[in-house]
Amino acid sequence: MSFDRRDFLKQGLGSFAGLALADLLMRDGIVHAAPKPSTIQHHPPRAKRVVQLFMAGAASHIDMFDHKPLLDKKDGEPWDPGESVELFQSQPGACFASPWKFRPYGESGKMLSEIVAPLGKVADDMAFIHNLVGKTGVHSQATLLQTTGFNFPGFPSAGSWISYGLGSDSDNLPTFVVLPDHRGFASNGAKNWSGAFLAAEHQGTVIRPGNEKPIADLFPPPSDFITPGSDKAGLAALEKINRAYAAERPDDDRLTARVRSYQLAAAMQLSATDVLDLSSEPQHIQDLYGLAPEGPGVDDTVMNVKAETEFFGRKCLVARRLLERGIRFVQIWSGNDNSHPRRNWDSHEDVPRDHPPLSLGMAHGTAALIQDLKQRGMLDDTIILWTTEFGRMPCSQGSTGRDHNPFTFTNWLCGGGIKGGTYGESDEWGFKPLDRNHPTEVYDIHATILHLLGIDHTRLTVRHNGIDRRLTDVHGHVLENMLA
Amino acid sequence: MLLRFSIALGTMAMLLRAAICAQADEPVNFETEIAPIFVQHCVRCHSPENKKGELSLATFNDLKANEYVVPGQPEESYLLEVVSPVDGEPPAMPKEGDPLSANEVALLHRWISAGADWPDEVRLEPPVVSDLNWWSLKPIVLPPIPQVNASHPIDAFINAKLAQQKLVPMETADPLILIRRVTFDLTGLPPTPEEIDAFVEENNANPEKAWSALVGRLLESPAFGEKWARHWLDVARYAETHGYDKDKLRLNAWPYRDYVIRSFNDDKPYTRFVEEQIAGDVLFSDEPDGVLGLGFLAAGPWDFIGHWEVGEAKLDGRIAKHLDRDEMISAVFNVFMSTTIQCAQCHHHKFDPLRMEDYYRLHAVFAAVDRADRIYDGLSPEDQRQRQSLLAEINALQDEQERLNTRSQRTVAAGVSGIDRRIAQLSSEFGTTPQPQYGYHSQIEKTPSVAKWVQVDLGEPQPIKQINLIPAFDTFNDIGAGFGFPVRYRVEGSNDPSFANGDVQLLLDATDTDQKNPLAHSVAIETEDTASRYLRVTATKLAQRRDDFIFALGELQAIHAETGENVALKADVTALDSIESGERWGRRNLTDGIYYKEVSNPEAAQELAELKSKRAAIVRKLKPPEVDERLAEIKQSLQPLSAKFKQLPAGELVYAATTHFPRGSRFVATQGKPRPIHFLHRGDMKAPGERMFPGAPILWNDAAQEFFDQPDYNEGEARAQLARYLTDRNNPLLWRSIANRIWQWTFGAPLVGTPNDFGRMGMQPTHPELLDYLAVRLRDDPDQSLKSLVRLLMTSQAYRRAGTFHEANAAADAGNAFLWRFQRRRLTAEEFRDSFLFVAGALQLDQRGGPSFQDFVIEKPAHSPHYEYHLHDPEDPAAHRRSIYRFVVRSQPQPMLTTLDCPDPSISAPYRDESTTALQALTQWNNRLVEVMSRRFAERLEQEAPADIDGRIDYACRIAFGRTPTESEREVMAELLNSQGSAMLGRVLMNASPFIYVE
Repeated sequence: MSFDRRDFLKQGLGSFAGLALADLLMRDGIVHAAPKPSTIQHHPPRAKRVVQLFMAGAASHIDMFDHKPLLDKKDGEPWDPGESVELFQSQPGACFASPWKFRPYGESGKMLSEIVAPLGKVADDMAFIHNLVGKTGVHSQATLLQTTGFNFPGFPSAGSWISYGLGSDSDNLPTFVVLPDHRGFASNGAKNWSGAFLAAEHQGTVIRPGNEKPIADLFPPPSDFITPGSDKAGLAALEKINRAYAAERPDDDRLTARVRSYQLAAAMQLSATDVLDLSSEPQHIQDLYGLAPEGPGVDDTVMNVKAETEFFGRKCLVARRLLERGIRFVQIWSGNDNSHPRRNWDSHEDVPRDHPPLSLGMAHGTAALIQDLKQRGMLDDTIILWTTEFGRMPCSQGSTGRDHNPFTFTNWLCGGGIKGGTYGESDEWGFKPLDRNHPTEVYDIHATILHLLGIDHTRLTVRHNGIDRRLTDVHGHVLENMLA
Repeated sequence: MLLRFSIALGTMAMLLRAAICAQADEPVNFETEIAPIFVQHCVRCHSPENKKGELSLATFNDLKANEYVVPGQPEESYLLEVVSPVDGEPPAMPKEGDPLSANEVALLHRWISAGADWPDEVRLEPPVVSDLNWWSLKPIVLPPIPQVNASHPIDAFINAKLAQQKLVPMETADPLILIRRVTFDLTGLPPTPEEIDAFVEENNANPEKAWSALVGRLLESPAFGEKWARHWLDVARYAETHGYDKDKLRLNAWPYRDYVIRSFNDDKPYTRFVEEQIAGDVLFSDEPDGVLGLGFLAAGPWDFIGHWEVGEAKLDGRIAKHLDRDEMISAVFNVFMSTTIQCAQCHHHKFDPLRMEDYYRLHAVFAAVDRADRIYDGLSPEDQRQRQSLLAEINALQDEQERLNTRSQRTVAAGVSGIDRRIAQLSSEFGTTPQPQYGYHSQIEKTPSVAKWVQVDLGEPQPIKQINLIPAFDTFNDIGAGFGFPVRYRVEGSNDPSFANGDVQLLLDATDTDQKNPLAHSVAIETEDTASRYLRVTATKLAQRRDDFIFALGELQAIHAETGENVALKADVTALDSIESGERWGRRNLTDGIYYKEVSNPEAAQELAELKSKRAAIVRKLKPPEVDERLAEIKQSLQPLSAKFKQLPAGELVYAATTHFPRGSRFVATQGKPRPIHFLHRGDMKAPGERMFPGAPILWNDAAQEFFDQPDYNEGEARAQLARYLTDRNNPLLWRSIANRIWQWTFGAPLVGTPNDFGRMGMQPTHPELLDYLAVRLRDDPDQSLKSLVRLLMTSQAYRRAGTFHEANAAADAGNAFLWRFQRRRLTAEEFRDSFLFVAGALQLDQRGGPSFQDFVIEKPAHSPHYEYHLHDPEDPAAHRRSIYRFVVRSQPQPMLTTLDCPDPSISAPYRDESTTALQALTQWNNRLVEVMSRRFAERLEQEAPADIDGRIDYACRIAFGRTPTESEREVMAELLNSQGSAMLGRVLMNASPFIYVE
């Protein structure tokens, strides 16, 4: 026999949830599995939570956010940046103008490309960094650098650090939630949201909106002996046994924490079900995020804008609901690892074919998220960070592809005490930072985010294998001029 | 700067006044008075190697250039501002360490006033920590055993401390608790009811004898190695995929895992165990374990893309290689030496005597090795030699091939990319999709010299002005356009279908030389006044497919001299032979009007043809024929070599450190020749300094620092030297490190709280004498037996204490650092999984060693494997083995085990966390494997347990908890069993705290 979460919920939030609900109500709401970690804050925060949007495969800055008129002029001519260039996969081709037109948006007149046009509406809120530099042009290293601050594995994700520093603001949901691309994980997989040497509670929890089982093990598997009734009876018995065991050993609070963890799990069944139920969202909100009428099953045999908007928009809407419930850090992924046909941003072969659906889908969902947070008054204390491994080259690879550009690329931030504008320019090609001696690094962005959350990035440390580890390693400067 | 300075000036000036007045007249000596201040407070973070804030205090240049110091004008000198306190706030600098004293600030002030003299020749260096005056670096001497009332040496040490701390040791634990504890600690599994009964009985007769027999039996059990190898593999960061991008499988990693298990079970002397893992191939070249041990160096993550696709010709590839060596060095020093050598990459270690030079010397030790499959057994020495020499030959040729290709690709790409873009535009605008009706296709021949013909029947003789032969298109073997077009051929007309009469008219003769393949273009043959009924194309030299030969043609058109129409359309076709294969190939396809067109628009086609010929001309110019010729030669020489190589026996493989392996794309073996290693300023690959040679840090007085000082060193010998360095009996770290780990793996918590760091940033031992006692015992034991040490610890009273709470003790030592009681622990993730499989009767205990079981399904294995755990069938008995035999994936760790604190294998994990979260409750309660095992547990009860409720509950609890239930437990379980049955009882037991905790 098989039954799903609907069966559980139909039965008055039966079994697991129902059992604990009484208990929860009796205590007026809240239980903690572990003593709530005290918040590490060094100064009053401007923001409470973060959304990290990650474009897996490396999105092309010069085709989206960083307008380069010189490339239009030199299109097809040999590219000569005046120095030798070593690329990841190919040999440098000719100058390759962006296939899309740019036009000014907002009061600032920020030039944005056609494939991010939906973001034009919120252009004045966005703070662009066009002189971000990476360490290498290797996807895995670059992805880790953006997610963990180190270009090799073994370090906690930024979300884990923030979970560690700020603790939970939601008792019924994990602190750090990851919404992966439904087609697969980006390079390094779960390493990008690993808690590494921080406790397991700080690792990112994967939620798959639109999936049959959005959270692993949230509900019992199909079984011939588990029914809502038997589940409830089993949990009641378990609670009695574990409670008695804990009562006989009153000095060991791990044992009572374990009893509570089952109650918390019950609460999580309720909250998670609720947070993922988008049917309660009014139609105009669903439309704002571009959800397709046919839902997650929308046809994407060939990659297309409608489907990509549905995929990304749904994650953005779920993200907003998570943020409303106190989640500290939401990581949203666009694109999977390298596979064929291409379903990520790594447009070595064909930028005009592969970038538009992903980019327009992303821009639609992101613009909706920003506007929606704004209209709810939440943009003021929510930071949005858009990032990717690195940028792409101003010259062509093959005919219409672009190779990796770790020498300069774009990040942008928004909300949470950040002032719109452009901070840091790239050179006329979009090849390297305009001022090569003063580029921006990922450490600076992480330092700034921590700063806005009330944390001094040099003081959020954990000693591991004899070294006081930080998200920003031994680097990082707060980008002061970006602060509102 | 001036402005900021003037604001702060008032406060500072007041502070300084007193000091200045006192000594204002005395001259200042830079070298004896000023330089020490800079060296002590500044240079560590402001040197050419480590130029924080773009400032170096090595020489005067930066200070002067940035107006940090304006000679003669202290008020203008920013330096004084940043080192002085302002309004009671600590000064901005130094960021780390104590602020300068008022006296030191005053000295600086005077020095600047006096003109800030800094002799050119004086260059300041960061201070180096060189003193060995730290507990872990002091020589180990056997401490006296404390004279207290204890017969066991371990208890003597522990009890002495307890007495000192005024703590009361708790009583000996109940035998039921003891057997469960020791069985989990030594085997990772619960005891069976039979084992429990036997022990309790023996214990009643003679507790000491029973205990020592039990410990002995468990140490001899093969499960001991399976449990203790887990400890080692945790610190050795062992996993079976590369990690990073395209997380590929290491199908030959498991022999190292089995080697570790076997080493523990065989009680291999520790020196031998260490040496095998660093240089076993050199020191024990006759034995498989010599190579298997090298799995340690390779066990960590590896950047496949950085090595394989990028390669060392590029900076990114060299960075990947650098990180790779850094990973190995860190592992060696963290694991064997409990030392954080990796800190010395960008600067001298700030706290421990580790210089940057030491770090780069270690790079030189590992400069020739890579991670790849390596033969450890199953190959004769002669085969080995032959393999290596063939490999060397193949590698040399492939190197040249790669070089030539890269060079020509580079120039060609720059020259043709504009054209390529236009071609792509045309194709995307006017491109067509190939139709399935390809054309005519002859039978396949083994040689090219078989003549084949195909002909059309126009119905009656017709005046024809032009014949078009349109090549076929097939993606077979990536041939594409021009598929099967004959190399030599002729075209004839006749009115006799057999072409036997004299009226045969030769329309085109291309039989005397090889013709260039027309690819996507049609061949137009202008004919003058022919009026034949039959047109025939005869191939006299067939086209090559892969290893065989054919004749194929997409379409034949005959253009009427007057109407201009294609009169061959739908004409009957005959041929010498034809493969007539489905829709694609058939005689009638030759005249069906369907053929491959690259673009649909004739103007585009025209432009395309021009672009292509232009492109070909550029390529010809940029890629000289000599290059092509040489490339062809290389290809030809490689073929027989590769064939020969493939015929050699493969041998038994382990993924290990190695210097010889077949080239993989740009991943090339060094053949034992070390890569040149340079000192890197600030750890930056773009700032190399002098060449470094193998060596190691001086961490005890007579330690060897430089193993070699010439570039022609033997890499194997360098590793052997490092192995000897590590196992030197005077090395204080190695023995203390392993003694601490053995203690940790026995008692649950180590004596030094930071098992991977015994430096000044680490913790100090709670029982330094005890630690040294254990270290010496192990070192000086002729067998260097780890098992003896474990036996020693486990036969102490300290190990056998109850976990009883004691208020006064807890008030003084809540964390039980002094071991007044035994610390309750939760099962590790693997113990939990193994145990519920075990109590369900499903654990395949006899499936020991060999390739790992996979509890996931791999999707997209060819490119980037996706490890899908949820698709795996939890009923699959192949996966019901002990967790030590699980295939460990880096990018997608096992979800249940990860939730239960199974650590990330990307970095050495010296201890397990024990967190308690709601997600753990969810996974323990709802995981599919738990569900399956609950049913198995119920089946087991049906078969084995008494039928009555009490009997059944007793049986279940004895299996799961190692004891009968308490009265309250019995009551709860009876009700559950009655109402929900045995499977639900099983599920509850597997989630119950008495199952999950070890007392």
